[in-house]
Amino acid sequence: MTSLLQSLMSESILVVTALLVLGLGVSLPKARPLITAITILGGFVAAAALLLFPLDGNFLHGMVVLDPLARIFKLVILGLTLVAVVLASESFPVNHFAESLALILFGTIGMMLLVGTEDLLMIFIALELTSIPLYILAAFDKESRSSAEAGLKYFLIGSISAAFLLYGLSLIYGVTGSTNLPEIARLSGAPDPLLIAGIVLTLAGFAFKVAAVPFQLWAPDVYEGAPTAAAALIASGSKVAGIFILAKLLTSGLGHWAGAAGWEQFLPGWAPVLALMSAASIMLGNITALAQSNVKRLLAYSAIAHGGYLLLGLCSATTDSLTAVLFYVVIYALTTAGAFGVVAIVEKQRGGSRLDDFNGLAKSSPVLALCLLVFFISLAGIPPLAGFFGKLYLFTSALANGQHLWLVIVAVAMNAVSLYYYLIVLKHAFVLIGPEDVRPANAPASQVLVAFLALAVLALGLAPNLLLTPLSKDKTTKVAALTTDHLP
Amino acid sequence: MSSYLLLTVFLAIAIIFPLIPLALAWIWAHLFSPAKPGKDKQSIYECGIEATTPAHVQFQSHYYLYALVFLVFDVETVFLLPFAAAFLKLPVSAFLALMVFLLLLVEGLVWAWAKGILIWK
Repeated sequence: MTSLLQSLMSESILVVTALLVLGLGVSLPKARPLITAITILGGFVAAAALLLFPLDGNFLHGMVVLDPLARIFKLVILGLTLVAVVLASESFPVNHFAESLALILFGTIGMMLLVGTEDLLMIFIALELTSIPLYILAAFDKESRSSAEAGLKYFLIGSISAAFLLYGLSLIYGVTGSTNLPEIARLSGAPDPLLIAGIVLTLAGFAFKVAAVPFQLWAPDVYEGAPTAAAALIASGSKVAGIFILAKLLTSGLGHWAGAAGWEQFLPGWAPVLALMSAASIMLGNITALAQSNVKRLLAYSAIAHGGYLLLGLCSATTDSLTAVLFYVVIYALTTAGAFGVVAIVEKQRGGSRLDDFNGLAKSSPVLALCLLVFFISLAGIPPLAGFFGKLYLFTSALANGQHLWLVIVAVAMNAVSLYYYLIVLKHAFVLIGPEDVRPANAPASQVLVAFLALAVLALGLAPNLLLTPLSKDKTTKVAALTTDHLP
Repeated sequence: MSSYLLLTVFLAIAIIFPLIPLALAWIWAHLFSPAKPGKDKQSIYECGIEATTPAHVQFQSHYYLYALVFLVFDVETVFLLPFAAAFLKLPVSAFLALMVFLLLLVEGLVWAWAKGILIWK
């Protein structure tokens, strides 16, 4: 029991912080800076607890599993929460401010539990603990119709996806007789048709979470309508946690049943499903983004496309490609959180996030425009930024699998298309002339944070080893331990 | 494959079973019952008493909030009962864990109270 409490120390700290924040919101509703400061402090204490008392091991039969890799991802999630909390004072309504921060913390606890588990039941519970606060956060701006619409759509589609996921997990449990991933992996042999059905249903549930085609319809409306801080958390933190646990589930649980997704050489398993969803997401996301006039919507379609790239790496399922996926999802989350930060500040300045609202940004706030440049160029994958190295590593490691040349060709061709719409945003910011009477942005904390994120994206592009070494050196970790010998 | 055959049979029965009474009711209505529509027959059926107002009325969503707060304490009882039954055999850490659980629920109630949710408007 004590060791269980120790293993969940940082999560417990976050729970206490969230309760404190809720209490303060009731007793001192006007003290918004104090509440924000306490939330951030709680996040830092939780991160310090992770760093100072590292604990490895398996608690309660795999319900809580801690290893260095999970610790890195918990830290990344805490960092993304920090971004959402700082942006919250820009984009959430003044009423019920403390509740919004407490909900962000509750969602973070869910994501951290999700990263550190190896049990199907715990995966489901943690996913719900992540999703339910995010549904509420998406609908948090009570006076905005589009926020209510975003919340309702996200909630309805999210609950349906949870039903799919639960049904799939129950079928997997029914066939394998265990909810523990390593136990499930002990079973091998030809897949039972029922198991294949379970895998496909589970993948459908996860595809909703990462917004892969054909389950992507909620993403644009939610990203556009939700308060920007909530959208930033949905796009970054929940995506990191979702991709991480999907990778863990597929490799350390269902690694025997990958199947194959080579061109005209499909074998049943999860790889062909992922490959098809990946190709469809990459094509639809990138092409539909061309027609967008709202930057948040554009980021949503870009998120669909990037979800496709990540699935490409997952379905290749080599040690290298999985490391590349984990590297890329962290880079993508940092970049997209930064991009949403810029959008939040511009929205506060000019009252909207249409492309026209970005006109003349380089003149009115040059640093912000420079950050925007860094983020969007990195999303497009141009050296020397982190997005370039991430894509390079992802695509080359997917090629090493030997079967996915067709998928990599689709991804690279569509990546060229994506450059166009990222540059359109930059054209509005740097070339077009904006209105004269723009107030300078009054959001110091958010601006510092956005600049810091831009520096991080640049630094990880110049020295990717900073992140790559800790991700790949740890051979004991479950995901890295997977080798191609599971594949046929 | 034979187990799937059984499933198919079940599926067929599951589809046919509700269709039979529906078909019987349709046949009965078309062959035997005389068509005599009237004001009473076509009015909305609400427990046999004549409807006085339209059915689409607004009612307080406060019921829902009360039900939510009630549900929390309902579930609490489910956890407290086995705890009380095994109280003497439990270690201190279990006691602490349950107290934390109770604190979570109580703070929820205090929060709802302070937000004025328990005031009936």
